Amino acid sequence: MDYTKQIQDIAGRLFSEGKIDIFIGYRNTGFDENQVPVLIHQYKDVDQLLFTDKSVFNLANYLKYEHTRNKRVGLIVKGCDSRALNLMLTESQVKRENLYIIGIACEGVVNETGEKAQNCVECMMPDAVVYDELLGSATGKREYQVNADIRELDEKTLTDRVEYFEEIFENCIRCNACRHSCPLCYCAKCCIDQETATLFHGANTTSSAFHALMTWSLHLAGRCVDCRNCEKACPIHLPLHLLHKLNEKVIYENFQEHLAGMTEGDRGAFYKYSLSDPDDFIL
Amino acid sequence: MEAEIKEKIVSMEKPHMEAPPDWQPVIMGILCNWCSYAGSDLTGTSRIQYPPNIRIIRVPCSSRVDPWFIIKSLQTIADGVLISGCHPGDCHYISGNYYARRRFLVTKKLLNFVGFHENRVQFSWVSAAEGAKFAKVVTKVTEDIRKLGPLHLYKKENS
Repeated sequence: MDYTKQIQDIAGRLFSEGKIDIFIGYRNTGFDENQVPVLIHQYKDVDQLLFTDKSVFNLANYLKYEHTRNKRVGLIVKGCDSRALNLMLTESQVKRENLYIIGIACEGVVNETGEKAQNCVECMMPDAVVYDELLGSATGKREYQVNADIRELDEKTLTDRVEYFEEIFENCIRCNACRHSCPLCYCAKCCIDQETATLFHGANTTSSAFHALMTWSLHLAGRCVDCRNCEKACPIHLPLHLLHKLNEKVIYENFQEHLAGMTEGDRGAFYKYSLSDPDDFIL
Repeated sequence: MEAEIKEKIVSMEKPHMEAPPDWQPVIMGILCNWCSYAGSDLTGTSRIQYPPNIRIIRVPCSSRVDPWFIIKSLQTIADGVLISGCHPGDCHYISGNYYARRRFLVTKKLLNFVGFHENRVQFSWVSAAEGAKFAKVVTKVTEDIRKLGPLHLYKKENS
């Protein structure tokens, strides 16, 4: 999967026609062939751009900040990123007429060890769902499979799961990188910040991490698109996807196979209801 | 006997924690104004006995209950949470409890996943005429939580 040349051509064309002010893409860091997102403002920088299977980050995240607001933006989206972008459009965070979207029919990106990433192996929608131009050939929707880690944890006893998650919540340093890296966490004031007052006991304890991560994952339930930007941003590599994948599993199995961001106008599983939703857990 | 002990160990979040002898469970009750709160009122006026462990908060509708309320109460004093609203179809705001039902299912599964026993957080539909049912529900929830013992998971230090 290498679309470097096509993307450079398209970005160059858009700049010379004056259709965009900023282009969001990937560039090389200079060592290890690792890539970082880059914001390009003029035609002469276009040759920095590239796209390979190491282009892991979700570029829709950069639309929520001040430097791209009310500007005409071109960007690259993979399948999962385009679903996040779809939700941002539905929730009126960006204007569609300001965007020029290059969709990718994604074949999966690699993780740090060079293997295909877990979310790409289990990916349901590798093609971009919203785009102006699609690169690669679309392969369509795939079958849903339950996340391997969730399946493993479900078989453990409650006491084992407590031990496992206590370690996770204890190791969290409350840096909020997960929140900042998530394209769907765009609130100017966040409710989990009320426990960040560092002069009080509340900051950076197991309890406050429990509160923050649980609240965060429930706010993203039915909206999370499994791009794993949060996990890539986490400085201590916590398996944050577990909370989101469990929500996704419960929602997919119980609420008419709902998947976040597949169509524009779908606000998420918690914004609609069905009379036949499960009722057996209620007394 | 052995099976009973085994069941107890599996059902407890932290088996090594013992309850003090005079311990009483604290249950956070969040009731909808139109049905369950009126139902609990009827329980009182009908002189039906129910355990005094429940602390009741009145909300306009069961869909007013943010999952955040549950997390916050488990993090502070509560050993368990009971949320109650109108029966499906009876909502004063027409469809509030249908939205709430979806949120409750996901919240319950997620809390169970990170280590809370499934009886810690319970939901019920109680209408304004069901005073006896309310007493029965509170008794059942209190007994469930008394069996599980005090909650030690992810508590704030000074609570």
